[in-house]
Parts: sequence; structure tokens; C-alpha cells
Amino acid sequence: MHTKARGAGLAAILLGLAALAASFQPPPAPERWVTDTVGFLSEPTRRALDARLERYERDTGRQVIVWIGESTGDVPLEEWAARTFEAWGIGGKGRDDGAALFVFAKDRRLRIEVGYGLEPVVPDAIASRLIQQEAIPRLRAGDPDGAVSATAGALLGALGGETAPPPAGPTVRPSLPALGTGQLILLGVLGLFLLVFLVTHPRMALFLLFQIMSRGGSGGGWRGGGGGGFRGGGGRSGGGGASGSW
Amino acid sequence: MGKWLGLGLVALLVLLGLGAVGSYNSLVRLEQAVDAQWGQVENVYQRRLDLVPNLVATVKGAASFEQQTLTQVIEARAKASQVSLTASRELLEEPAAFQQFQQAQQNLSGALSRLLVTVERYPELRATENFRELQAQLEGTENRIAVERMRFNEAARAFNTRRNSFPTVLFAGFFGRRFAERPYFQAEPGAKTAPEVRF
Repeated sequence: MHTKARGAGLAAILLGLAALAASFQPPPAPERWVTDTVGFLSEPTRRALDARLERYERDTGRQVIVWIGESTGDVPLEEWAARTFEAWGIGGKGRDDGAALFVFAKDRRLRIEVGYGLEPVVPDAIASRLIQQEAIPRLRAGDPDGAVSATAGALLGALGGETAPPPAGPTVRPSLPALGTGQLILLGVLGLFLLVFLVTHPRMALFLLFQIMSRGGSGGGWRGGGGGGFRGGGGRSGGGGASGSW
Repeated sequence: MGKWLGLGLVALLVLLGLGAVGSYNSLVRLEQAVDAQWGQVENVYQRRLDLVPNLVATVKGAASFEQQTLTQVIEARAKASQVSLTASRELLEEPAAFQQFQQAQQNLSGALSRLLVTVERYPELRATENFRELQAQLEGTENRIAVERMRFNEAARAFNTRRNSFPTVLFAGFFGRRFAERPYFQAEPGAKTAPEVRF
């Protein structure tokens, strides 16, 4: 009986401790790639960078976000960043291929937090150089737009894989890749079958042909649902990256 | 009357048995989470051990660098790499071994931060690209250690909470040290009040 009571008491204390540890509340997950809660950036800059990061995710599958807040409060910046990164799940689950630039206007501090999976690509020394060379001089010179854009741009540069922005105007569909001999033969055989089919069962063949054509025309609709915002994929970070203050 | 009592006793035993199986399974699951997180902790500490020789070599290159600070770092590293050879089973199940591990790592932290403070007096060393890179790596590693320790504490807390809650606490003892309470990392003295220079 005695041990039971003691166990229950201990459990209560431990639960209390767990509640204490869980008292850190990350801000609500962002819905865009660039979130500015304090009006640090000008709207055109925010929108341009947001589009750039959205495109980067579409092209490479890697999530890179920028989040600007006021202050981390009593929580050290590094702990705040690691916990928030995990809570938002930046990057793919298991791949952990995300990165985030956190800026705190009132604290005058910023941090690049790198997911586990990208640590070999952006080691701390590189992240630190981006902060020291791209961000801090511009922030000190009173150019927040330039600082955030240049740092995020340099981060993408270090990560690699960014394609040139598409030209304004009608988007050009990529031309179909050239076919190999094997594919040509296969296509020929299929065409022959279709021809025979057309003679024997004209209605069914036409129906099939129509089906195939209409599916090809819709462009697949991959990642459709236009205007879909940022959604974390369950990635984590382990405190990789670098911090700085200005 | 006796028949009913017997039946009730059997039912109670079956219920207890089912509870034991459930408790056992959940403890095993949480134990595995603790072990996995411990692996991460060991990784980041190893990362720091690997970094120190580079740092020492770079600092040694600077003219007339204080020998005493360097020797302390080298000694603390030797101790820390010795305790990291302890089997993780033992570390997690024996509080004394865990305490020793943490102490040795803390001594290395202390020696390294003293080294960095001393370097402040050697501006030409601080300005070299090599040293700046090492410093960024060391800062990153210390931060990784903090993050993985924090996650380890969370995993250990989840395990201990389950272990000490009713009815699991009744069964946990049967398995000897296997389901012993997992230790926590204590905040390093002075870690909460890191000196900060701001202008």
C-alpha cells in the first residue's frame, strides 16, 4: 500500500514536471513560406521572397521558410528555434530536409536553423558565414528587406537546386523527352493494336482513345488545389545552424 | 460460496496478467524511445570530442598561447572520451555511472569555454578564417548537445511517468534494473544565466 501511494505521488510530481517542460508554446504554424508578424519587411519584398521559396519547394521538395517575430521571451533563441522547428515539422518526415530563417526584431537576433537532413549541405560554418556576411551588415545599415532577401537567397544558393525564375507571361510546357528505340517499338506495337481494335470494335476503341486523350490534356493536376499555402511535412532539426545578433 | 470465491480469484488473476502484459509492452516501447534518443546524445557528444583536437591544433599554432588552458582541455577531453566508452545500458540504468558521464562532459564544457575566453586576448588568432570556422562548429555542437539532452529528458520523463504510474509500478520492479527509472540531465550550473554582451 505504502509503495503504491508513493508511486502515485511521484507520478503526480513527474506529470507536473512534464507539464512544466511542455509549457513552451510555439506560435501557430505559418501558412506561407514567409511570415512577418511585426511588419519588418515591405510587402513587395515579402511577396517576392514568398513566391521564390514556394517555387523552391515545388522544384526540390525542400521546405525553406522565413519567420519574423518580435521576441522569444524568456526562452533562449536556440531552444525556441529547435522546438518550433519540430512543432511546425519543417521539411519532409524522415528526410528532415527543411531549413528556417528566424528573425526577432525586438531582440535584434536572428538564427538559421537547419534540419537534420540538410546538415551535411549547410554545415554550421556556412550558416554562420551567411549570418555574419549577408544578414548582419545589412541589418546594421538599416536595410531589413535586403538582409532577409539576401540571406534567404544565399541559403538557397548553398542548398542548391534552385531553378531560374520562370519568365513572366504564358508558362511554357516542357517539351517531351526524346524516345528511345525500345519505347518507339512499344509505341508502334500499341498503335498497331489500336488500329486492329478500331476495325473490330470501333466504338470501344474510340471511347478508349478519348479517355487517354482527356487525361493527358488535364496536365495531371499534380499538387493542385491552387493557392495551397505552406504545410510542414513533419521534419525535425537537432540544433544545427547558426545565430547572430545585430 | 467457495466456488464463487475461486472464480473471482481466477478472474482477478487474469485481469492482473492482462494489465501486466499491457504495462510491459508500453514500457518496452518507451524504453526504446529513450534508447534511441540516448544514441543521439552520444552522437553529438562524440561530435564535440572529434572537434577538440582540431581546435587545440589551431590554437597551438598561435604564438605563445597559454599552455595551462590547453592542457586542461586536452585532459578533460581524455576523461570525457573515456566515459563515453561505458556501455549505454550501464549509463542508463546506474545513476552513479550516468552522474560520472555527465560530470566528465561538463568538465569538458568548462575547459572549452575557458579556452574561448582566453582566445579573446589573442585577436590575431580570433581573426583567422580557420578559427572562426571552428568556433562556429563548436557553437553549433554545443547547441546540438543542448537540444538532444532536452529531447532525452523528455523521453526519459515519458518513460518514468509510465513506469511510476499505477498499475505499471507494481510490475516494473520484477524486471530488476531493466526498468529502473531513467536518469535526467541536470541543467549545467550557469547555463541558465549565460553571460551576454549586448550593445
